[in-house]
Amino acid sequence: MNLAIILVVAAAVALGVILRLTITRSLQAKGNSNPAATIRPIDVEAFRNLIDPAEDQYLRGLLPPAQFREVRRARLLAMAAYVQVAGGNAAVLVRMGESVLARGDPRFAEAARQLVDDALLLRRNTTVALLRIYVALAWPNSPFAAERVIDRYEQVSGSAMLLGRLQNPAAAVRLSSRS
Amino acid sequence: MLQPHSFLWHYLWVAPCILLLVLALFMWRRGLHREFPAFFCYVIFEGAGGGIIYAIDVTPAVFSAEVYWRSYFFFSIVEVFIKFLVIGEVFTHLLRHYPSLARLAKVLISGLGVVLVFTATILAAYASPAAFWLISATRILGRSVSVVQCGLILFLFLFAAHFHLRWRSPVFGITLGFGIVASVYLAYWALLAGWLFGPKSYLLDFVNMATYHICVLIWFYYLLVPQKSPAISAVVLPEHNLDIWNRELERLLQR
Repeated sequence: MNLAIILVVAAAVALGVILRLTITRSLQAKGNSNPAATIRPIDVEAFRNLIDPAEDQYLRGLLPPAQFREVRRARLLAMAAYVQVAGGNAAVLVRMGESVLARGDPRFAEAARQLVDDALLLRRNTTVALLRIYVALAWPNSPFAAERVIDRYEQVSGSAMLLGRLQNPAAAVRLSSRS
Repeated sequence: MLQPHSFLWHYLWVAPCILLLVLALFMWRRGLHREFPAFFCYVIFEGAGGGIIYAIDVTPAVFSAEVYWRSYFFFSIVEVFIKFLVIGEVFTHLLRHYPSLARLAKVLISGLGVVLVFTATILAAYASPAAFWLISATRILGRSVSVVQCGLILFLFLFAAHFHLRWRSPVFGITLGFGIVASVYLAYWALLAGWLFGPKSYLLDFVNMATYHICVLIWFYYLLVPQKSPAISAVVLPEHNLDIWNRELERLLQR
């Protein structure tokens, strides 16, 4: 009987999730004004400094172990915040690239396809990076590298810039504060 | 009204079968059977097979209860295979335009599939047996398969939502219908296999059949009604505002 109840609850949760995602999709399709307004630029250089292993080594040598772990956790949380913004931006860029592809204009198709591919890879990398950051929060002494996220972010920023320039040569297109 | 062999009961069984055969006809005329061959097979199989099972059920003078359960069990086994083919078809359609994600998606769905099959096997091992083995087998099969199918479809929805993948309307409609059916079937088979409703279990049939009817209408809508393209504005990327970003980061660090 307990098993049946667990399965019924699981089924109800699954149905709720599916219906919620359906409604969200429907609302997004209707209210697709300008998703680009939700993009939040990232200071890539600051993020690069934050994840620099040399900085960690320096702090490790300078601070007592307990204090180092505290500082390391704070830095990891800051990293997570950066990565979340990068992931959010990637999601917006996927939608924007898809919007351009849906128009079927062959002039922008290649650039839009490139943007979608790069943004999806960035989204994938940010997801993995976030998981690793949360694991590292539990073990602050473990090494952590997020260079792939930065590299991918700079690449996707270039793709977005290209697509933006193709569509509107006069508009400034920047996803990073320094690019 | 909510009794077996009432008018509503007959309607809820027969109407989806007829609607599915009509849907198959429309799919054929619009060439959708070439685009969605597995779903086309599913529609024909459910329409025709459901009709045959219905005919066996309503003619007890000709077909015994054992014939009914044997036919239903065989129907369920074939249905399981076709449903997995449809899920595979949806998966292929969804990821066709996203080669960069295809490998990750395949790894994830394979891993999830193994976990779900393992879970379903354990659930089957803990099932309560009925007096007649065919009824038990059907219920255990239904519950186990529903666990796997519901999990796979939920994964497809979550994966697409996480990566903001664009669903084509027919693919979305097929997946939505399957998702609703799979989750309601999971609850239905769980309650049946647990014998929670006892002799009143026919009440669950009404919920199950009504849900399926709704899903057939969903498939009609998404496959046959032309969908409006969303209003798309030209993409204009904004200037950044580093101050806002930094303020938010500082706020996060001060928590």
